[in-house]
Amino acid sequence: MSFDPSVRKKKKVDCEKLCPEWECRQPGEFEGIWVIGEIEDGKIHEASLQMLTPARDIANKLQTWIEGVLIGGDKEALEEAAKEMIYHGADKVRIIYHPDLKVYSADQYALILSEVAKQVKPEVIFVAATLRGREFGPYIANTLRAGITADCTNFDVDMKTGDVVMIRPPFGAIMLAHIKTPTRRPQMGTARPNVFPVPERDESREGEITWVELDNVPPKRTFLEEVKIIPQTEVPIEKADYIVSGGRGVATKELWSLLEELAKELGAVVAGSRKAVDMGFIPHEKQVGQTGKTVKPKLYIAVGISGAAQHTFGIREAGIVVAINKDPDAPIFKAADYGIVGDAKDILPLLIEEIRKLKQQSQKSN
Amino acid sequence: MRIVLGIKWVPNTQAVRFDPKTGTLIREGVPSIVNPHDLDATEFALKLKDKFGGRITAITMAPPAAIMGLQHVIGMGVDDGILASDRAFAGADTLATSYVLAKVIERIGDVDLVVFGQETIDSSTAHIGAQVASWLKLPYVYYVEELVDYDESKKEIVFRRKLEDREEVYKVKLPAVISVAMHSQKPRPVRMSYKIRAKLENPIQVWTNKDMGLDPRCIGLKGSPTIVAGITWTPEVPRKKQVFKGDPKEAVKWLIEKLKEEGVLPF
Ligand SMILES: Cc1cc2nc3c(=O)[nH]c(=O)nc-3n(C[C@H](O)[C@H](O)[C@H](O)COP(=O)(O)OP(=O)(O)OC[C@H]3O[C@@H](n4cnc5c(N)ncnc54)[C@H](O)[C@@H]3O)c2cc1C
Ligand SMILES: Nc1ncnc2c1ncn2[C@@H]1O[C@H](COP(=O)(O)O)[C@@H](O)[C@H]1O
Repeated sequence: MSFDPSVRKKKKVDCEKLCPEWECRQPGEFEGIWVIGEIEDGKIHEASLQMLTPARDIANKLQTWIEGVLIGGDKEALEEAAKEMIYHGADKVRIIYHPDLKVYSADQYALILSEVAKQVKPEVIFVAATLRGREFGPYIANTLRAGITADCTNFDVDMKTGDVVMIRPPFGAIMLAHIKTPTRRPQMGTARPNVFPVPERDESREGEITWVELDNVPPKRTFLEEVKIIPQTEVPIEKADYIVSGGRGVATKELWSLLEELAKELGAVVAGSRKAVDMGFIPHEKQVGQTGKTVKPKLYIAVGISGAAQHTFGIREAGIVVAINKDPDAPIFKAADYGIVGDAKDILPLLIEEIRKLKQQSQKSN
Repeated sequence: MRIVLGIKWVPNTQAVRFDPKTGTLIREGVPSIVNPHDLDATEFALKLKDKFGGRITAITMAPPAAIMGLQHVIGMGVDDGILASDRAFAGADTLATSYVLAKVIERIGDVDLVVFGQETIDSSTAHIGAQVASWLKLPYVYYVEELVDYDESKKEIVFRRKLEDREEVYKVKLPAVISVAMHSQKPRPVRMSYKIRAKLENPIQVWTNKDMGLDPRCIGLKGSPTIVAGITWTPEVPRKKQVFKGDPKEAVKWLIEKLKEEGVLPF
C-alpha cells in the first residue's frame, strides 16, 4: 500500500479538546522532514548525517522532501555543513544564522529552532541523540508541545494515516514499542549514534540552501567557559574494528588483565557489559548495549557475558560475534556465530598464545 | 540555595522478567527502588547544600507507593518531599509528566536550581529534565558531573561536564535546570536518624489535582501527544550459532580456523 498524500491535508484536530497551553495547530498544514544538523568543531556531526538514512526512507514513503536545518554563527562552517547534508541526501538546507550564535547554548538554540519550526511547519523532525542532541532535542519538542520519542531503532509510516511510527525498545530490549503522534505536528524522534549508517556521499547532488539571517536572538543563559578536548588514546568503541568485550564472568583483576592482553594482541579495543561498568572495570562510555553504545566491529569477542537482550542489542550490527562462556546454556551462544563453552581462565591464555603465533607468522612472511 | 530534586520510583528492572507467551512484563513481586541514577542527582544536590546551605525538596509524580522513594532520599539528607499523585495524572508521556512536575515547581516557588537524574532505568528517555526546563522557560544543562563554582550574589553557577570526547565548563544563570550524569557521584547511604526524623516530622506532602487545579486536557493520557500503537518482538539477527564444547586446546584451534575462514583476523 502506498501513501495517498491527500490524506495529509485532511488531517484535522478539534482545538477545543487540546490543552490550552498547547497552541492549536492543524496537522494537515505540516509537510516535509527536518533533520537537524549538529555542528561540532566547525564540522557536521557524523551522527546527524546518519539521521538522513531513516529520513530518506520516511520521505520516500510520505512522498515528501528532506530539509537539513543548521544553526550557528560561523558562515563558512554552516555553508560547508549544508553542502555535506545535501551530498548525503538532504533535498534542501535551511541555515539559521546570527553572529551571536557562534557558541552552542541549549535553550537558546532550541528556542530559535522551535520558532522557525512554527513558521516552516515540518511534519517530522529528526535529531541525533548525541549528548547535545539529548539536551536541545526534547527542549524543542516541549517548546512546540510536540510528541518526541527517544532512541528509536527504526521508523516506519502508517500508510493509512500518514503518521510516522517511531519504533524503540521500551524497558529492556526484548520488545519494541511502536509509538505514534496522531494529532500533533511536528512528530519528533531521535536515534542514538551508529544505529543508522551514514548515507553514501555524492558530490553531484544539488539542493537549495536558504539563509535565515536573524535580526536578534534570545539572550544566552548558559556560557561555555572552557573546552578541553580529551586526547583519544584509542579508537572509541563505536568506531573500532576489533572489540574484546568482558562481563561479570571475567570481572576479576586476573581475568580482566588476560582480556586486556588478548585485546592488545589483536589490536582490539576493550569494551564490556553493564555489569563490567557497575563493577568498575570500564567507564560507561565503553558499555555495549541498549543503554550503552551500538558497535559494529568486524569481530566482537564476548567473554564472560551472559548475553542479556539489552546487551546483544548493541551488537546487532557487528560482523562476526564470538562468545566464550562456561555456561552452555548462556543466551550469548544464540547471538554468536562461534562459541566456546569453557572457562575464560583456560581459554584466554590459549587464545592469546595462538593469536601471538599467527601474528609472528604474518610478520615473518611480510 | 533553594533546590528541587526530581526522582522516580521505578521497578527494579534487573529483577523484571518477561512472560514469553504474552510478551508482557511480570511485575508481581518485583521490588521497586529509587531510580539509581537519581541517587547521583540526590548526592549532587546534597553536596551543594553541604557547601552553600539551603533547602532541598524532592518531588515525584507517581502513584502513592512512591512515597517510599521520597522517604529514601529524605533519609539521605533531603529536607522534604512532595508527591504529586492523582488518578488523572496516569498514562502520561514525557510531555504530560514534565507539565505536572513544572507546575509543582512553580507552586513551590522561588527555586534556584532544579536537579534531575540523567535518565530512568524503566523508560530511559532522558527527556524530563529538558522538558521541565522548557515549560519553566529556564536554561538547561544535561550531563553535569561536577560543581566548579557558585556565586551567590550574581546567582551564577559553574559546572563541569564530559561529552563524548571533550570536557566542558559551563557558567549558568540561575534559576536553571540540570541533569546529573549517571555514575558521576558516590551516593551517600541512608542515615537512620534522618529516616526516623522523616517518620516523626512527616515532611512529605501529597498534592492531588484538587490542590493543583490543572486542566484535565493537559495531564495524563489526554495531555500526552504520543501513544503506544503496538508492541512487537525484537527481530532476531541471523547468526551461525556454532558452538564448540570440549578440550580447551581443541576449542581454540577450532575457533582460529573459523576466524581464518571468515577472513576477519587482522593479520
Ligand atoms: C533497561 C535495561 C537496560 C540495560 N542495558 C544494558 C546495556 O546497555 N548493556 C548491558 O550489557 N547490559 C544492560 N542491561 C543489563 C543486562 O540485563 C544484564 O544484566 C547484563 O548485560 C549482564 O551482564 P553480564 O553478562 O556481564 O553478567 P551476567 O549476566 O552475570 O553474566 C556473566 C556470565 O559470565 C559467565 N561466566 C562466569 N564465570 C566465567 C568464567 N570464568 N569463564 C567464562 N564465563 C564465565 C556466566 O556463565 C554468565 O553467563 C540492561 C538492563 C535493563 C533492565
Ligand atoms: N515521574 C517523575 N517524577 C519526578 N521526576 C521524574 C519522573 N520521571 C522522571 N523524572 C526525572 O527525570 C529524569 C529523566 O527521566 P527520563 O526522561 O524518564 O529518562 C529522571 O532521572 C528523574 O530525575
